[in-house]
Amino acid sequence: MSVAAIFPEGSVNALPILDRLTRGVMEAATPQPNDDPLERRAIERVQRGDSGAYDYLVSKYTKRVVSIAWNIVRNAADAEDLAQEAFVRAYETIGRFRAGERFGPWIYRIVTNLALDVVKHRSRFRHEELNVAEPAARRDSADLRASTSEIVQRVDRALESLPEMQRIVARLSLVEGFEHAEIAGMMNLSEGTVRSHLSLARAKLREQLADLYE
Amino acid sequence: MNEEKFFDRLREDARQLRYEPDAFVTTRIASRVRERIAAAQSPSVSLFLARWLRPIAASMTAIALAACLSLAWTERNSTDAATFDSLSADNTIDISFAGDTYRVGQ
Repeated sequence: MSVAAIFPEGSVNALPILDRLTRGVMEAATPQPNDDPLERRAIERVQRGDSGAYDYLVSKYTKRVVSIAWNIVRNAADAEDLAQEAFVRAYETIGRFRAGERFGPWIYRIVTNLALDVVKHRSRFRHEELNVAEPAARRDSADLRASTSEIVQRVDRALESLPEMQRIVARLSLVEGFEHAEIAGMMNLSEGTVRSHLSLARAKLREQLADLYE
Repeated sequence: MNEEKFFDRLREDARQLRYEPDAFVTTRIASRVRERIAAAQSPSVSLFLARWLRPIAASMTAIALAACLSLAWTERNSTDAATFDSLSADNTIDISFAGDTYRVGQ
């Protein structure tokens, strides 16, 4: 099931998701001031209708956005599609973006929610995927760098063995390096829920990888 | 190894699992985003035509309406004038004076 099939361009069904995403951002507890003057200026220009200024924001955040998407959906093609979709949606709702805040948390939140919807969609149709010779979720290792060491591959396998929410929270924390509050904001969860998922994930990882760091 | 050290090392190794898209991928994403934004901004052929045709159609309708109204008004005025003339013609008084007869319309 491709991302394009879940989020067709101009889809009417996408509007509630978009509204949920942008509303969530507006209600974020701790707005972070933007310390990048170029980014601030680019946002202001985009809000005034200069779409060319959006290139700066896309080039600044593409790598991180793709990485976040990939760590959730575990498929390079889907991650690329999700990043593209996230940037378009952020552009469409840039008018609601509060001046002076950082663009990063906003775009991370949009891409995380889009990726979570893909994961939910996949699990709903998992029985269909079992009949496919090479399901999308199983191609993950092929996307990793060839130079990835045996230890890192074991860490990757251990993370993949976790239940879905624990896996996503653990990846956003350990791989992407986000704080609890940031993950909570990105996933529309309370900080307590994030801590709980992470605590369970850590216990399982400790058990599985005990021999690795002796 | 204590818990803190374990997770420090785990975090260090896990960081290598970050996905690094190559320059080709990032360029492709940027150009697709640009394309989709431009497509959303530039109107389709039907929208473009509608944008031009709507005001033209509205102007034509206004002109036609004005023409109809003025025609009706002109026709009504000319009918009134004709009626006055015919009334004038019908209501005449003949005045005889010094052997001559004068016809005066009311």
